[in-house]
Parts: sequence; structure tokens; C-alpha cells
Amino acid sequence: MRKLLHAILLGLLGAGIVHIIVLLLVPEFSERGAWSRLAMASDLYKMTRLDAEAGGAPVVKSVDPLFYAAACRFDLTDGMVRITAPGNVPFWSVSVYDRRGHNVYSFNDHSATAGLLDSVVLTPAQMIEVRKDLPEELQGAIFVEAPIDEGIFVIRAFVPDDSWKPTVSRFLDQGSCELQDF
Amino acid sequence: MLKNALLTLLSLAIAIGGGGASVWYALKTQDGVGAIRIGQWTAFPDIGTPAADPYSKARVAREGVLALGRAEGLSFIAERDSGGEQLMRQCAYKIEGGFPTARFWTLYAANQSLGVVETGRPRLAALQSYQVLRQPDNSVIISVGSRPAPGNWLLTEGTGRMYFVLTFYDTPIASSTGLSDVTLPRILKVGCNA
Repeated sequence: MRKLLHAILLGLLGAGIVHIIVLLLVPEFSERGAWSRLAMASDLYKMTRLDAEAGGAPVVKSVDPLFYAAACRFDLTDGMVRITAPGNVPFWSVSVYDRRGHNVYSFNDHSATAGLLDSVVLTPAQMIEVRKDLPEELQGAIFVEAPIDEGIFVIRAFVPDDSWKPTVSRFLDQGSCELQDF
Repeated sequence: MLKNALLTLLSLAIAIGGGGASVWYALKTQDGVGAIRIGQWTAFPDIGTPAADPYSKARVAREGVLALGRAEGLSFIAERDSGGEQLMRQCAYKIEGGFPTARFWTLYAANQSLGVVETGRPRLAALQSYQVLRQPDNSVIISVGSRPAPGNWLLTEGTGRMYFVLTFYDTPIASSTGLSDVTLPRILKVGCNA
């Protein structure tokens, strides 16, 4: 009897340890994270609409119904990536996520020059290189220094009412996400 | 000898089964560690940041959430009315009170997975602050239900559980210091279609 009790107690102690281990391993091995879902939907450096408006089920869930969103995946080991989107919309905001879906940096249209979305994501090392000789066309860009390799860039844009849908859709569809040579 | 082996097996079964099940259960419940409660509203300001607790991190990885950044906004979720009862889609509610400072906010009725509820009509089950009518003291009264209502009307449809998601965009309350003295609107039940 005492042996049985001993075994159960040992089992509960083990359950605690397993609980912690499993919890910490879930992010490492999950194949349902935002990165994996996006990877199934599109390639690196390709703007993909996240909302259901563009056809099909939404790629990544829990997007505000009054918002449209687009995302692109990038890999900073290939070089720095530049994201632009033309035109003015009532409100846009941007988040940079690392591969695990953690928000590393975010800003909105109040931070941008004339409200235009023009941003460069790069590593601190690449930033040092760029600072030495800043190219003319990047003068107005927002530089996001992110100590990551792979990441996700998400643009969210507000759709106040139906009449804004075409404008906001165009804003996101014309957004580009490309490797910047330097 | 056989008894010892069986006991070892029992320990292992409890450890692995119990450990796995408890993680699964902890990730399934809506309410969790790191939540901030204001009235009936709950927010997870740390979710999706590297500073989040391990439970939030696991939830983010499992559900593919891309949480709003601090400079973007902050979401609050309500699952109960002021009387402490669960929000139901067949009931009518009144949401009233002042809203904290933000460039604008959006409010929508959500289903279990926090997607907007299907209304089956062109009208979305969502409102935003640029379109609402305000009281003289700048507070807002919103009627929620399947019947059209004067003033601000949030359409809901169907039966079953419902959540309200209230998101403030470009707001100072998203920085942690501002959260202590924020008041959010109350959710009052008006009546139900039995």
C-alpha cells in the first residue's frame, strides 16, 4: 500500500515536470503558428492578404472585422528587406514579428513621413553598414532594427465603412515587400 | 519484481498523462495568466511579446495569433455582463459609459473563436467610434440585439455564446502605466428571446 502511494506521489511530481517541459516545448515544435500558416499560403517576400476578403478563409485568425491586413515573410540573412505601400488610408499600423510570432516592433502612420508607408527591416549589423552611406531613396524610410533572422511583417489598415473597401484593398494589394540590395 | 515494474509504469503513466493533459487544459481556458481585468473586460497586454509568460507564448504558437503591437492598439474581451452572466447571442444588451483616450476604437460581437459573428445580412456585427452618436457628456450608449434600435445599434444574430471585443487603436493606455485608472463601459442585459 505504501509502495502504491509512493508511486502515485512520484507520478504527480513527474506530471509537474512534464507539464513544464511540454509547455516550454510547444512553441518550438508547433506547426500551427503564424509562420507555418503563412508558409503554406505563400512564398517569402510576397505580400499575402490575411483577411477573408481576398477569397478563402483567413490565413491567420483574430483580425478585427473592420480591418484589412497583409503580411510578408522575410529572412534577414539574405539581406535587408524594404516594405512600401502607396496611397493614403484612414489608419494603418505595422508590426514586425519574429519567427515564433512575438511582436518585436510596431508603429503606425503617425510615425511615418507624410503618412506614407515606407519601411526597411534590417539587423543591427546591417544598420551599421547602411549608416555609413545612406542611399538617397531611403532617406524618408522608417528603419526597424530587429535582432532576428526570419520574421513576419504585417500591415493592418482600417476600413471605416464599405466605401473605403476598394481604397484600402488597393493600398494593401499594391504593397511590396522586397529584398533591398546594398 | 513484477509489482515494482507495474508501480513504475503507473508513475510514468500519471506523469506523462497528467502533465500533457494539464498543459492542454491550461491552454484551452480563455482566462489565463497575465490578464488584466477592468470591470467585465479582460486584456492581455503582454501577449505576443517576448516578455509574455510561457502560457501566452504557447497559446500564440498553437493558435497562430499575431497579436497587436503596443503602438497599434489594445484589445479587451468581455464574456459576461455586469450581472455576471455569460453573454448570449439571443439576448439584447446595452453597452454604456465613457471610453478611454484613443485615436479610434472598434467594437464587435464575436463567437467562441473570436471571429466576428455571422449576421447573414450586409450589416456587419461591428461598430467603430467615428460612426457612433455621443451623449452630451461624450459617453456612448450602444444597443446590442437582433432588432433595429435607435441611436447606436450593434447587430447580433443567432443563438449561443457570444463575446464582445473592444479594441482601442493608437492609444496611450496600451503602455502599461496607463492601465491602472482606465474605466470601460458597462454591459447591461436588457432582455432575452427565450
